[in-house]
Amino acid sequence: MEPQAPTETLGDDSERRLIEAAQADSRRFGVLYERHFDRVYAFVARRARDRTEAEDLTAEVFHHALAHLGRFEWRGVPFVAWLLQIARNAVADRWQRLARERGTPSPERAEDGDVADVDRRTMLADLVGRLPGDQQRVVLQRFVAQRSIREIAHELGRTEGAVKQLQFRALETLRARLRDVHD
Amino acid sequence: MTEQARIDRLAEAVERFVADPRAPHPSHDRELAALLAIARDLRDLPRPEFKARLGADLERRAAMATIAAVTHRGIPSVIPYLAVQPAVELIDFVKRAFGAQELLRTTGSGGGVHAEVRIGDSRVMIGGGGSWSGTPTPTGLHLYVTDADAVYRTALEAGAESLHAPVDQPYGDREASVKDLAGNHWYIATHRSGSHVPVGLGTVTPYLHPHGATALIEFLKQAFGAEEMAVHRGPDDVIVHAKMRVGGSVIEMGEAHGEWMPMPTMFYLYVDDVDTWYRRALAAGGTSQEVPAQQPYGERRAAVRDAFGNQWYMAAPAT
Repeated sequence: MEPQAPTETLGDDSERRLIEAAQADSRRFGVLYERHFDRVYAFVARRARDRTEAEDLTAEVFHHALAHLGRFEWRGVPFVAWLLQIARNAVADRWQRLARERGTPSPERAEDGDVADVDRRTMLADLVGRLPGDQQRVVLQRFVAQRSIREIAHELGRTEGAVKQLQFRALETLRARLRDVHD
Repeated sequence: MTEQARIDRLAEAVERFVADPRAPHPSHDRELAALLAIARDLRDLPRPEFKARLGADLERRAAMATIAAVTHRGIPSVIPYLAVQPAVELIDFVKRAFGAQELLRTTGSGGGVHAEVRIGDSRVMIGGGGSWSGTPTPTGLHLYVTDADAVYRTALEAGAESLHAPVDQPYGDREASVKDLAGNHWYIATHRSGSHVPVGLGTVTPYLHPHGATALIEFLKQAFGAEEMAVHRGPDDVIVHAKMRVGGSVIEMGEAHGEWMPMPTMFYLYVDDVDTWYRRALAAGGTSQEVPAQQPYGERRAAVRDAFGNQWYMAAPAT
């Protein structure tokens, strides 16, 4: 299967319809969340100090977006750009607050320049979601949850050798697919 | 190199890398370095449990918002009603101290007045005076202004008594408090982050200090479909500060303590259906004070008193 194109290049009409549906009935917001979660998280994670902060900020962005969805006006600007602006403000607010509480100057603002890095992480999250089940589980357990080969083997009921092989295959697959995207 | 050897070599390198992400990459082996670079990015991927939990949380909030939207239509606004003997003087005070604009004033044959004023974006009702002999209901009111220090000085010049001079509060507001000639407490504040009014609040918000804030919150939920915007509890589980959305308005509260004792308040609620909300308030534990009836001035009105002595008038234009 070919990797999906970055979300903002999806058809304007389909995006617009989704937003209008969610504005009319906020219970439809879930589709927008699923579609843009990875990019918002990748954007925030580059600026956060740790995983907890990245999760807090991501939650803040989507809570704000849901509460203020009515304010989004469709003018051809991608919805994700609006979300990232909320994220930028949330990060800046947090740094200012921390600086005030601790009496230290705000850290330098992270540059938006590294769009490629956010793109790559978004793409990677998408590609992991498309890995075969076993490989996906090993990747999430090994790298995101940082479990040992032995723990994963125990959990999956496989040998340590089999888990190492799945780890190798998963990384090889991801490397090949990332290369396909860039070519 | 056999595939098995490559598998093992990667596993060892990942092991070292997981133990110490800053350990140098094996730069001589380009293939291994490329795989480890991907592994590094994988560490920053979101946890699937987090994504699922946030998704479920948003779903719940969206459903709540849908219910709330219906409720807001049911209760467009909740207005504090300050029933005091020196009503005329109080109207004059809020104009001078807070730049209130008088929207309406009617004077009865006995000299009693009913007035509505606007302070910033908020409405406040004031009544009493003349031969009026009801129980006064001065209350606590949180007032957000652009310059708390200046408004505090103006309030004192207008005749208020100082309760607390302006100080920077740990929660980020500059805050002072005064007591006006009718006994109302005004908590004059300037929010220090973003707008001078915190998100979600208006210029004036009633601030209650009940004995048993938890029970009052429950009453507001059951009677008027109120939602918790924020509830902060102290170490002993006592409610230090809560913000409740009631229809299109907000009521703040904190458990009574020290100098902040209960000041039972009168509220005027505009509702879509007086009889239904009246029954609901009774079912939530309220005591009837006025059964639904047409008023000579053209509204249908009812009133219920809660267990904390607050009075809730519910009114709608007569149909």
